[in-house]
Amino acid sequence: MAKSVIPLPPTVSELIATHRVIVCCGAGGVGKTTVSASLALSAARQGKRVLAITVDPSKRLAEVLGVSESQEEPTVLSPEVMRSVGVEPPGSLSAWLLDPQLVCDRVVAEVSIDPDAQARMKRNRLYQNVSTLVVGMHEYTAVEALHGFIRDDRYDLVVLDTPPSRDAIRFLDTPERANAFLDPRIISIFLPGQASLFQRATTALVNKILDLGLGKESRIELQEFLTLFQVILRHLNRNQESMQKFFASRDVSFLLVTSPAQAAVDEAVNFEVRTKALGVRIGGYILNQSLATAAGLPFPDESLVTAGASAVERSALSKLQTLAKVENAAVERDAALALSLIQRFAGKAPLWVLPRFTREQSAFGALTKVADLLMGQFAAF
Amino acid sequence: MPAVALRWKDLLSFHQRINLITGKGGVGRTVVAVALAKSLALAGRNVLLVETGQPDEGFSPLGQYLGRANLDDEPRNVGPHLDACQLWANTGHELFARSVIPAGPLVTAALRSKPLRRFMNAAPSFYELGILYHFLHLVQLEERGGGKRYDAVVVDMPATGHTLALTSLPDVALRVVEKGPLASAMRRGQGFIHDAKVTAAWVVTLPETLPVSEAIELVDGLRRTRVPVGGILLNRFLPDPFSEAEHRVVDRWMAAEPLRGRFALERIVMAGESVSRLTESTGLPVIRLHEVARDAGDACAGLVAQFTDVNAVTGSSLG
Repeated sequence: MAKSVIPLPPTVSELIATHRVIVCCGAGGVGKTTVSASLALSAARQGKRVLAITVDPSKRLAEVLGVSESQEEPTVLSPEVMRSVGVEPPGSLSAWLLDPQLVCDRVVAEVSIDPDAQARMKRNRLYQNVSTLVVGMHEYTAVEALHGFIRDDRYDLVVLDTPPSRDAIRFLDTPERANAFLDPRIISIFLPGQASLFQRATTALVNKILDLGLGKESRIELQEFLTLFQVILRHLNRNQESMQKFFASRDVSFLLVTSPAQAAVDEAVNFEVRTKALGVRIGGYILNQSLATAAGLPFPDESLVTAGASAVERSALSKLQTLAKVENAAVERDAALALSLIQRFAGKAPLWVLPRFTREQSAFGALTKVADLLMGQFAAF
Repeated sequence: MPAVALRWKDLLSFHQRINLITGKGGVGRTVVAVALAKSLALAGRNVLLVETGQPDEGFSPLGQYLGRANLDDEPRNVGPHLDACQLWANTGHELFARSVIPAGPLVTAALRSKPLRRFMNAAPSFYELGILYHFLHLVQLEERGGGKRYDAVVVDMPATGHTLALTSLPDVALRVVEKGPLASAMRRGQGFIHDAKVTAAWVVTLPETLPVSEAIELVDGLRRTRVPVGGILLNRFLPDPFSEAEHRVVDRWMAAEPLRGRFALERIVMAGESVSRLTESTGLPVIRLHEVARDAGDACAGLVAQFTDVNAVTGSSLG
């Protein structure tokens, strides 16, 4: 790595040691969930008490982590299991699956002073479908949940696996997008009890449109939902604001997980720009599923075929050689990509390259393998 | 009809009018949607290709395969027999409002005001409702002389979570709103989307362990929302060139010393296993789309060739 002006954590191990929250960002399909779970495991092996918050795990990974839907509390993985993957006390690993509805319910319980209002909200059919219905609810509740967990002294480190999106750190500007709800000028149009004649007229018009479109009963339910949901959003927003400050602090590090796809470079560059604009710190880039590290394998040559070899052996060799040539090209391409990314970010942030794995034996096997690699033979390039 | 020797047989799987192309990010969903739309257009059907978007986004995933930086909410001609556009929530809202209230300047101004638009996009289900309403409007467009304008509609659906939010919307909306024009629009929507003669969802995935698991989960999700699933489009499939005896030889070499080609070999084995896993778990036809060039334009052309040429997809489970 080139000499940098600002000191950077040169290894994953230091990154883990010096932060309270690591946020893993990246598009779908790059192995982000596996990488963040492996990172959490690595930290637990270093003796940290770690919480992994995951959003959209595959069934297998969810089983390994022992998370299922609608859990109030994180699952603590048993000490026996932990010992088998090299985690010794005080190190521990807990996992929690983000459930937006659950987080909302918690907020309702926290903010509604009036038990009547609370009961009405829970009965509201729009509220019952809030996580499907409200755009950005996953992002919103991820930040809200994190807000609670960083105050929890059971954990030294929280690893957050963000919801997959086109824009790697989209979840950070959720408050802006959802603030439309809170704009009193807009919301007031929908709600009864206006002061001025003009406002009353506007409300009447909107009500008429909604009655025609939805029916009166549903219109009233919508208004009730909006009234109560405002309170929830105001609460969420207050925490989002303090979280924005927290995200920009030295306690938090953002990692971009990407794959050797063509779009990877663009994505990484975009990530750099966006994190800068938001004032948050890039902990590093993880180029996952790369063949760059597999450069050393010998080419299958004639020496494999012994004298008097069968026709089957000869044809197998010729076919394997065809595959090997294609693979050579892929290895070269991935190596060139890794190099260009390293040059692009030299002196700014480290880049870790993770190999493409041959077959995962078990999901935990894959996790420990990635964890070994993260901590082991290669530090940053 | 263009002067191309078309293999109609291959396109028979796509006989439904509405084809929803779904799948997780990174599996090549968009390029498959474009290739399918182009193939259907080549076969002489009038095709509309759509994706979800919003005004001023300045980015169109479909556009990059159609040689356009942007698409808007009006169908534009992008090739012979092929129109494309984006589904915009705001457009849907406006179309809906127009259908229930006589268009007055006050109503139009109210609907176009920026704060209201912002609100509608953030408010519960309003975004999806708008998208769906715009979609229903386009699907039902008629020619002047009568008859539907489009014989086939291909939709590049948003990422998994949003896809299920959209396909479950008519059911969810009808739980919340039982009467009125919105409810009837949603019932009409159900009529289209749940009818296996009209609609088919296609799940695009890759021949690898995780994407296959995710595709199986998505099929389950789609079936829960009562959307008929037409089949699985297994993208970047690698045919197995080795006979069983040859496999045994190669395995023996690899066991002695890992050789260049081991990753490619493993992908081939995984591809074969993917087909059996998908078939067994879903009971759906698995259409294999062979790996083609990585370059965007070439990949699309390569897929069109496979959709339209029977020789290129020999051994697929078509039909």
